[in-house]
Amino acid sequence: MEILQDSVFLSRLQFSVTALFHILWPLMTVGLSIILVVFEGLWLKTADIDCYRHAHFWAKLFLLNFSVGVISGLPMEFEFGANWSRFSIMAGEFFGNILGFEGAMAFMLEAGFLGIMLFGWTRVPPIMHLFATCMVALGASLSAFWILVANSWMQTPDGIHLENNRVVVDSYFDAIFNKNMPWGVSHMWFACLATSLFVLGGLSAWYILNKRHTAFFLKSFKLAFLGVIFVVPLQIFIGHNSGKEVFVNQPAKAAALEAHWDTNENDKGAAWNLLTWPNKAEQQNDWAIAIPNGLSWIATGERHGQVQGLKAFLKGDQPPAILLIFYSFRLMVLIGMYFLAVMLWTAVAWISGRLTVELIANNPLLLRAWIAAIPLGYLASECGWIVREVGRQPWVIYGILRTRDAASVLPTSVVASTLLAFIVVYSILFVLFLIFASRIIRKGPDLTLTP
Amino acid sequence: MDNEIHTILANIWFLIIGLMLFLYVVLDGFDLGVGILSLFTRNDKHRAIMMTSLESIWDANETWLVLLGGALFGAFPLVFAITLQSLYVPVMVMIFALIFRGFSFEFRHHAKDITLWNLGFGYSSVLASLAQGIAFGGLIGGLLVFDGNYQGKVWGWFTPFSLLVSVGVVSGYALLGATYLMIKTEGSIQVKCIYQAYVAAALQITILIAVIIWIPRFNPYFAARWANNLSGPYISFFLLLAVFAFFMLLSALQRRFEIRAFFWSVIISLAGFTAVAIGYYPFLIPASLGLSQAASSSKTLIFMLAGIGFLIPIMLVYSGYQYLVFRGKIQIDMPME
Repeated sequence: MEILQDSVFLSRLQFSVTALFHILWPLMTVGLSIILVVFEGLWLKTADIDCYRHAHFWAKLFLLNFSVGVISGLPMEFEFGANWSRFSIMAGEFFGNILGFEGAMAFMLEAGFLGIMLFGWTRVPPIMHLFATCMVALGASLSAFWILVANSWMQTPDGIHLENNRVVVDSYFDAIFNKNMPWGVSHMWFACLATSLFVLGGLSAWYILNKRHTAFFLKSFKLAFLGVIFVVPLQIFIGHNSGKEVFVNQPAKAAALEAHWDTNENDKGAAWNLLTWPNKAEQQNDWAIAIPNGLSWIATGERHGQVQGLKAFLKGDQPPAILLIFYSFRLMVLIGMYFLAVMLWTAVAWISGRLTVELIANNPLLLRAWIAAIPLGYLASECGWIVREVGRQPWVIYGILRTRDAASVLPTSVVASTLLAFIVVYSILFVLFLIFASRIIRKGPDLTLTP
Repeated sequence: MDNEIHTILANIWFLIIGLMLFLYVVLDGFDLGVGILSLFTRNDKHRAIMMTSLESIWDANETWLVLLGGALFGAFPLVFAITLQSLYVPVMVMIFALIFRGFSFEFRHHAKDITLWNLGFGYSSVLASLAQGIAFGGLIGGLLVFDGNYQGKVWGWFTPFSLLVSVGVVSGYALLGATYLMIKTEGSIQVKCIYQAYVAAALQITILIAVIIWIPRFNPYFAARWANNLSGPYISFFLLLAVFAFFMLLSALQRRFEIRAFFWSVIISLAGFTAVAIGYYPFLIPASLGLSQAASSSKTLIFMLAGIGFLIPIMLVYSGYQYLVFRGKIQIDMPME
């Protein structure tokens, strides 16, 4: 494998391994912390002891998830300097600044109140405890905000110019609120909510299916469903619009995620490839099942709207791995549709009065559909990041800095060793997390707990 | 005029980053120190007390490292990039050690046999401290930088000097850990901590003096700063302050003044570090990259000051509040695992 002799490629592989692993955990940190705020707020408002017990039970999973998130996030900040020193030197003035903001505004806030939230129940008054939980949730969401600001700026680097090959900021407002940022931030934040709600609802469904504490978990199941009603349709709307934004600002990425090679002529619409087999060497698809004019509709809203094809770009400016981008995108969309279907199905069940303690167990298929949804939010998010990051290639800062020119000069053997170590350590970490999380879940909540 | 403002801003950020580094070294230092000391106990109850003393704060302590990284990245991108690239190996070792440490600490609650997890926690604490020490030793030992790029070898940081520094850092962390535990414990475990503090302090002060005497022998710039009438007295002053703090510590240990013992342990590290920093000032990467030269533009430094600088007091308040909530001796008559 000649490609494994290339330290830039190894650094890329290392970054994708660490990023794809790390993103699994903030999904729940962001979403579940908000759910914890809701449970705790409901307890204070209604004095329903079950809400208090829910807050305690889900906090156990939260802590386990949070710890893995913290320790897997740490390497990434240092990788920028260690593996991507030329990127860091060039973009540090803005990019590093934003990471600093994340540390000061988000991480410290989260960490500064986490101890009180987890271990301070008996040490502070309930309202102070609720405040601590709110601050943890706010910190988690702010961290998602700043990270997506930094990442979206790499997609659409606005508000800057280059001086001596280094980024100089002209307008902080333009750089922070760059063209991709509103969609990037909201799409990721809603992905966190959707994933967490389906984990909450799915695990609750699992308990109900196994006839454990049905009344208790019906509450969390209904709460998850109420959240999903808002989150899933909004997420689909945001997802669609963020796709349209890509067609405007990153046409090569957009063409890659649709495997669209030839720019359509003025009086013809571009077809939308439902399924296909892209062939980069031949610059065409080997076969395709396509809907005529579909892509013009999606991208421009008009039957004959023009959509740039991949061939409009030099081969060296086209994203690699078009097959991966194309199918990751489709998988993500498919999961969104599945979420929507589960939501509608649950709505029908609720309206027809079947979501009661007595009747819910009579609907095992619906419960299984929720259980099946537990891993899907994670999978969709991974797919989304693959589309976003692989699709931006060969650029690290779109149109400004190529990935190849961003890497540190490091011996291959050194990068190969750390890459291997990350793969091994993260695999162990992942398996251990699953083992310990399933122990917490099997043990179930403590229904004797009182304040 | 513009240049003057830029120099002032660069110096402000130098101080802020120095403050963050100091907070990290003290807070995660005692945290790592408790981990190091946990290897020296066979008593399960003692170990449980030690672990509980970190439970609510380890994450906040480690977060100072993340903040430090982000602030350095934004304010001095060149330093961030060159340092991390040239210290790739120790930095990665530190990261893996911190990963192991974090999950040993959090997962041990759920494990059936916790012996392995306890060992994992202890050894990864040692490894993380050693790696930090060797990276710091490598940095002040001198990195070959030319024209904004690291020119040295990937193992260039591995010298007898950096090894000595790293043992010094480990003993300094152990001292901070021992005096922190003095505050959080009582009875037989406290007695043991006092004994450990004596050993760690003696080791640390010896190495500190050795390191500061060693630097001028390979670094003419530092030697000149020490001989210089303007900066020299300050270096000597902080060196003497470290020695003075050491004796104050001994007296505090003898009389079991818990807070004072921790205070003087902090002063030893702070004074030693300040002496080194003055000797190298205004170079961030010793002898090659100066403060103003490495800093981001004034505009960024001001923007960061507004976003981060003004948050520091607030961060200190709520971090302090968390310590306040969990103050007092650790009680573990409640069910532990």
